Order: sequence, then structure tokens, then C-alpha cells
Amino acid sequence: MLQKSKTIQDKMAELTKTVDWFDSDDFSIELAIDKFKEAESLAVDIEKDLLSLKNEINIVKQKFDSEK
Amino acid sequence: MAKSQSQLIFSVSDFIAVVNQTLDYAYPFVEIEGEVASFKINQGKFVFFDIKDKSGSINCFMTVWQMRVPIEDGMKVVVSANPKLTQWGKFSLTVKSIRPSGEGALKKSFELLKAKLDSEGLFAVERKRRLPITPARIAVISSIQAAGYADFIKIINDRWGGVKVDVAHTQVQGADAPDQIIRAINYFNQQEIIPEVLVIIRGGGSADDLSAFNDELLVRAIASSRIPTLVGVGHENDESLADLVADIRASTPSNAAQIIVPDKTEIIRAVKYQVSSLLPRILQAINQKEQALELILNGAMNKVVDSINNKLSDVKNLKNILSQLNPSTILARGYAMLRGEIKLGSMIEIETIKYIMKAEVNDVTKK
Repeated sequence: MLQKSKTIQDKMAELTKTVDWFDSDDFSIELAIDKFKEAESLAVDIEKDLLSLKNEINIVKQKFDSEK
Repeated sequence: MAKSQSQLIFSVSDFIAVVNQTLDYAYPFVEIEGEVASFKINQGKFVFFDIKDKSGSINCFMTVWQMRVPIEDGMKVVVSANPKLTQWGKFSLTVKSIRPSGEGALKKSFELLKAKLDSEGLFAVERKRRLPITPARIAVISSIQAAGYADFIKIINDRWGGVKVDVAHTQVQGADAPDQIIRAINYFNQQEIIPEVLVIIRGGGSADDLSAFNDELLVRAIASSRIPTLVGVGHENDESLADLVADIRASTPSNAAQIIVPDKTEIIRAVKYQVSSLLPRILQAINQKEQALELILNGAMNKVVDSINNKLSDVKNLKNILSQLNPSTILARGYAMLRGEIKLGSMIEIETIKYIMKAEVNDVTKK
């Protein structure tokens, strides 16, 4: 099954969770480097997504100059 | 052969009908500016007033629901109307719309409506809804030819991406603008899946240009929108009733764009800062571990050193004892050592620190 691609919001939430881990009781030096790499990779992804995403502007066809 | 016009004889009703047809042909729609006098509302439905200037006055008639702004005597207005001769032979204007004209009248009308809507609680802070931080779909109502709209689109494109923006093109000034904007508000509110935010924008202009946004029905339509509203009309100092009733007020269309989406440059900077701040935390944790380890090692080392020192002290004590027991030490204190059999006539050897002597035992007495 295809995995649904993550949105920027998903990635930012994941990054926040990863960053919070460093201040939590779960923090351990043994896992810290892996978690850091994970955060670094998410940051790169977020930047790439933000720079590549374009807005979709759509002028609605409905006319508003008179009652239908 | 038809009689010439001068020879025609009309009934009164026919003449009134012909005059009205002529008026309708010549002036199907007329706009007249003047001052309101003798303003009154009958039966809560019918509005009567005169519109006048220095040397003339015309009767006007309209219905209450056609009044989009509060009117009172002395106010300068522009009426859009059809001229008409009534069946009683009175000339009057059947007013389709009326709007204040001139800065004083606009201000007066604005203040009257503001007070009325405020008393109904339409501007209350408790009514204000929050906007989503990063909306995925927004609806915009504006004129797509307006500079304010172009500014808005440019800024949201510069700041953020991935947003679906549906734009309803309407007039944003003039008599038709309020109704067009109301229809657009209804259009978005009636959609099966409604947008997350409804943005209404218009750039700067004169008080008259912006007066469309002080229309009572428009203000009420914004207030009753199911979709949270963001209104940015005019420049920083302009205040419209549409601004006041909106969930969020933007000072300009550009400001509306800044409010509606975050700035990706700032987000990227913040994300990078978040990640870079992790390295010092890791180094700090490593330093703390190092310090803890050093304490443990120092403790262990101190125990080992203490143990060795204790052993060395024991050895030193033993050495002292052994030294005291050394015969040479005793001889040095003046004692002598005697070797041989203790019996009369036997030869014995006597050792002092300096000499070794031989002697014969001459007497043995028990102590």
C-alpha cells in the first residue's frame, strides 16, 4: 500500500516532537546522534517543500453582478 | 389619418401614463444629489423624504429594505431613482438606492450605523473567531483588477505555498459593490466544503470609494458568515464597518496576506535554528557525562591511593619494629651478646658493638 506523503505540517510536528525529545526524560547520549540526524533531515525536507510549493489561484466562474 | 399631437385629447389617466412612459424613456435611471428634508418612515415600511437644493425640492419615495445606510434630515445624499408622475399628479422620485454624499454625510451615516450595529453586539470581541495558522484553502473576495488584490496575491505567493485560493471577482466600489460582495459571501458559505478563511480586500480610495464597506446588509452578511472572516480595506487609517465586524481586521490588503499565511523564510530560519540548537545540547550532555565519569574515576583512584598508603604505613611500622629487634641496634645501646655454654670452666664468646671477646666462666649463680 502506498504511504500517504507527509505534509509540511506533519513534518513540522515531527520535528517539534524530535526536538522535544532532547529535553525529555527519554534523552540518552546513545540515541542523540541518530535523533539529531533525523531532525537535520526533516529540516532539509521542510525547507525543500516550502521553497517548492506553489499556491493554486482559481478565479471562480460564478458571476456576482446579478441574482441568478 | 392620425390627428397631430396638438389635436390629441387624453384622459387624465392616459396622460399620466404617457408622461410616465416619456419619463421612463428619457430618464430610465437618474442619479440626483441633494439634501434630505422631511424624512419619515410610515408603517415601518415606507420611506418618504424630500431631496432639495437651494432653489428646488422633489418628493422621494422608497421602501425601508432598500435603505442600506441610515439617513436623516440635513444629510447630503445621492439617490438613484426613476422619476414618476403619481396618479394624483404629483411628481416624485421612486428611489432604488440612496447613499450619503460628501465627507460629512458619509461620516454621519457611518457613525449612526456603527452605533446601531454596536448596540446589537455585532462588533463584540466575544464573537471573534480565530483563523487557522496555515490554511490549506482560502476564499478571496475582491476585484481582480485592483492593485490591492495584486499586492495580496504577490505577498501570499512570496510568503507561503500549497494554498488553494478561490477568488470571487466583484466590484469593490459603487452602488452595486455591496450586493455583489454579499452574493460572493453567500456563494462561499453555501459550498459543501467551505473554505477555512474568507478574505475580503480592497485597496485605498476616497471615503466615497470605501463607503460600500459601510453598507448595513454587507456588514450583516460578514457577521453571519459561517467561514471566519478577514477584512482588509483601504489604508492603515481607514476604518470601515466591514473591518469592525470581521473576525480579524487587516489594515491593508498586504497586511491581510501577512496575517493569513506565515512567512516561509522565517519558518525555514526557525527550523534551522531549532536543529542547530540541538548540537550544543548534545555537547552539554556529553560534558555532564564526562564530569560524572571523572568524579567516579577520581573516587576510585583515591580509594586505591588510600589503600596503598595504608599498606605503606603498615610496612613502615613493621620496619620500625624489626629495626628495634635488630641485635646490632641493641649492641649499639651498650649491651653485649654472649654465646657459649653456661657452666663452670667453659669458654664463652662476648660480643659488643665494637669487640668480640672470649672469656672463661668462673662462677655461675642462679638468680
